[in-house]
Amino acid sequence: MEQPFKIDIRKGVGGDTVQFHGNIDAHADQYFDDLLKQISTNRIIMDFSTTGRINSMGIALLLRSIKSIKAEKKAEVSIQGLNQINTMLFKMTGIFMLASEARTN
Amino acid sequence: MAHVKATKLNVHGFCLNANGTIVRIPRSPLPLNQGNRVHEWRVGSIDDKDTIIAHLEQILEGSDDAHDFLRQRAALMVDEMLENALYAAPRDADGKQLFAKGGKRGLLPEERITLRCSFDGERLSLEVSDSWGSLSPETVQRFIALNLAEEGAEGDRAGRGLFFMWRLMDDFYVSVQPGEATAIGGALPLYPHPDEKGA
Repeated sequence: MEQPFKIDIRKGVGGDTVQFHGNIDAHADQYFDDLLKQISTNRIIMDFSTTGRINSMGIALLLRSIKSIKAEKKAEVSIQGLNQINTMLFKMTGIFMLASEARTN
Repeated sequence: MAHVKATKLNVHGFCLNANGTIVRIPRSPLPLNQGNRVHEWRVGSIDDKDTIIAHLEQILEGSDDAHDFLRQRAALMVDEMLENALYAAPRDADGKQLFAKGGKRGLLPEERITLRCSFDGERLSLEVSDSWGSLSPETVQRFIALNLAEEGAEGDRAGRGLFFMWRLMDDFYVSVQPGEATAIGGALPLYPHPDEKGA
């Protein structure tokens, strides 16, 4: 079974890394409400390496969240750790117009 | 598992090409029962979604990248199909959606949602049917056109799930008996076109 959804934020010298665990769907909505409040830097890396499915509702949550972070925190957002299908969805829905792909180690 | 044959005329049966244009009316449902085992699940609540996806992933066993990508696409399609049938399809007499996404949701007494699939080793056919018949051809085309617009990636864009189905599945089709039943289906190839590999 998929692990329950949760968001971890790690502070680092290069910015905050936001790690999404589990599936991102309608049930993740409440967690995104708190995310903006916890962002403290203007460089954000969103890490999807432990993310499962992202459905259309999850894409809507991510689009809203990235737009809010950019607008309210004046932050640059980058993305890493995507699997094949989620890369495809991000291309299809314009997420990569808002956030660039981070270079991975 | 039994394959349920459609015996009534499809009042609005159509499939859409790569431009979102209706290309044939009506279109027969996919031949899910031609020589390959048909798997069928009667859905009782939203809680069944992860169980069905886990079963489907077992059907698509294979350790190479192609099977892994097929499992990823299949899981997403089933997710969207069931969310659509459970939350978008139920409408009141005025066309207003009855259930909000994310809410706990069991089926109403007369309601039926069925997911079927078959896999021939290179192509996975999927179909979900519900007992509402609330989708119109105009709505499907409007959702696809809306989501094809590249400008401004709005968060709350209607019909994104349906757009994903149309975009990812070959031979995408919708079959509607207004007020009675809707079936949505299509097929996922094990080896998709290079443009659709997400790389």
